[in-house]
Amino acid sequence: MSISAPEQPALLTVKGLSAYYGESRALYGVGFAVGKGTIHSIVGANGAGKSTLLRAIVGMMNRGRAAHTAGSIEFKGRRIDALPTEEIVGLGVTMVPEGRRLFASMSVEENLVCGAFLPRCRGTLGETLEDVYSLFPRLADRRQQPVSQMSGGEQQMVAIGRALMSSPELILLDELSLGLAPIVVDQIYERIAAINARGVTCIVIEQDTERAMRVAGAVSVLLEGRVVLEGDPDELGRDRVSAAYFGIDSEGQGG
Amino acid sequence: MNEDLYWTLVDIANGLLSGVMLGGYYAIIAIGLALTFGVMRMVNLAHGDMLVLAAYLAVLVLQFVPISPFITLALVIPVMFGVGYALQRFLLNAISVQSMERKGMSAGFGLMSPILVTFGLSIVIAHALLGGFASDARIIRNALSYSAVRLTEDLNLSTLRLIFFVIAVAILVALHLFLRRTHAGRAIRASADDAEIAPLMGIATPKINALASGIAIAIAGVAGVMVGMSRTFQPFDGPVFLLVAFGVVIVGGLGSIVGSLVGGVLLGITQVLAGTYFGPSAQLVAGYILILFVLAVRPQGLFARRR
Repeated sequence: MSISAPEQPALLTVKGLSAYYGESRALYGVGFAVGKGTIHSIVGANGAGKSTLLRAIVGMMNRGRAAHTAGSIEFKGRRIDALPTEEIVGLGVTMVPEGRRLFASMSVEENLVCGAFLPRCRGTLGETLEDVYSLFPRLADRRQQPVSQMSGGEQQMVAIGRALMSSPELILLDELSLGLAPIVVDQIYERIAAINARGVTCIVIEQDTERAMRVAGAVSVLLEGRVVLEGDPDELGRDRVSAAYFGIDSEGQGG
Repeated sequence: MNEDLYWTLVDIANGLLSGVMLGGYYAIIAIGLALTFGVMRMVNLAHGDMLVLAAYLAVLVLQFVPISPFITLALVIPVMFGVGYALQRFLLNAISVQSMERKGMSAGFGLMSPILVTFGLSIVIAHALLGGFASDARIIRNALSYSAVRLTEDLNLSTLRLIFFVIAVAILVALHLFLRRTHAGRAIRASADDAEIAPLMGIATPKINALASGIAIAIAGVAGVMVGMSRTFQPFDGPVFLLVAFGVVIVGGLGSIVGSLVGGVLLGITQVLAGTYFGPSAQLVAGYILILFVLAVRPQGLFARRR
């Protein structure tokens, strides 16, 4: 597979990754590399394997017969594909899961503090917390509010903030726009750009191909569990990406 | 004042007081069960046997060193914590829903396995105690058995029950602060809320489950010593306490410390008042009527956490 950003060392390299849920296969030898400091979009239709790919990177597909992977995932040159999730997070990779998945019995601040569970994060907890509040001032006013009483957009901010609390170098963002109003989605992506500007590498999954291409420095198109197109979104252009997304055989590499 | 009315009020006041005291003790019996279910979604059917085990442990210590039964807690608590930790880490984690899925079994298998295993464990513990201590009824002797605190001329409170109540409240407050204010405590709550996502915080859920189980069984150990000081016990008494724990959890609602205390107090008051007015045989019946009533009217329990 080609390395997308030759001028920068790859932070994450995925090679020949296949993923299985029991007997059924979700990924077929997926490979791509994510350059340090970039935003990498993964686009694809429903069921193309986008979420599975992110779950595999953070070790959530290592579930024995229920779900497993084959192939390699390297983070900063180190194999992480056999590690449990908590150790992968310890190395500096985390994920904002699809549907936010906040800790429902807790307040905003408790959710955030949970994100700093790792021993290496506890010493700087106060500073990281203030960082997150400066990034999302709306949360600062609602520290003690139970997350169950917040709007979807605010909950998404908590989910992103919670992921940032582990001081990650790489953050995987799964369908941030799910169920949110377009104006809220704009605000959230503006914050993602700010987070990226601080040096955090991002992998973004988005149904909305246009938005995915606008925010990203690199894009991979997933079709039925395979990477069918990848590169710089401006060079590829909308038409080629759309064609690959729907598996229209214009490039001779679709379905 | 009319004499009849006076004595009626005294009876009720005495009933309420000892019911509240009994409630603290019931809450301590139940909180471990609530914690284990809340975090691991597992029902430990050997919970009552853990209490009895702790009571025998205190008996064993007292055979060798004639100290106050309260001081045996210094050994009982760490030993029972170790038992709970090891039980979860090396046995129950291996048969959780996630582990069963890992082995290619259905989720239903994973739900059923802990029930069968802890039921078996309950039998093993009871028989081991029978082998070690025979079936004689035991009691942990202590200087306070017949002592009472006199509130007014006609209002008395058993000193032992009062001490138990204070210990129970202290444990519940400590547990509350632990779960709210410490990283490990929040990790336990995070796992209870969403076990699949907790590892994304860097939380090693198998260890956190074992910690929660250790705490649950350590508190059950304290309850066991209290039980042993206030009544006689035998190796096969575990299920009696398991039923008390279920009752408290049903009335108070799962996953809430306040719920356990209120559930315990309501159950305690109901039983004591029923005993006062309808005789000792009415105690258990009244408790079950309360449980049935709560199940019918508010099946999630009075203080259930909203999901």
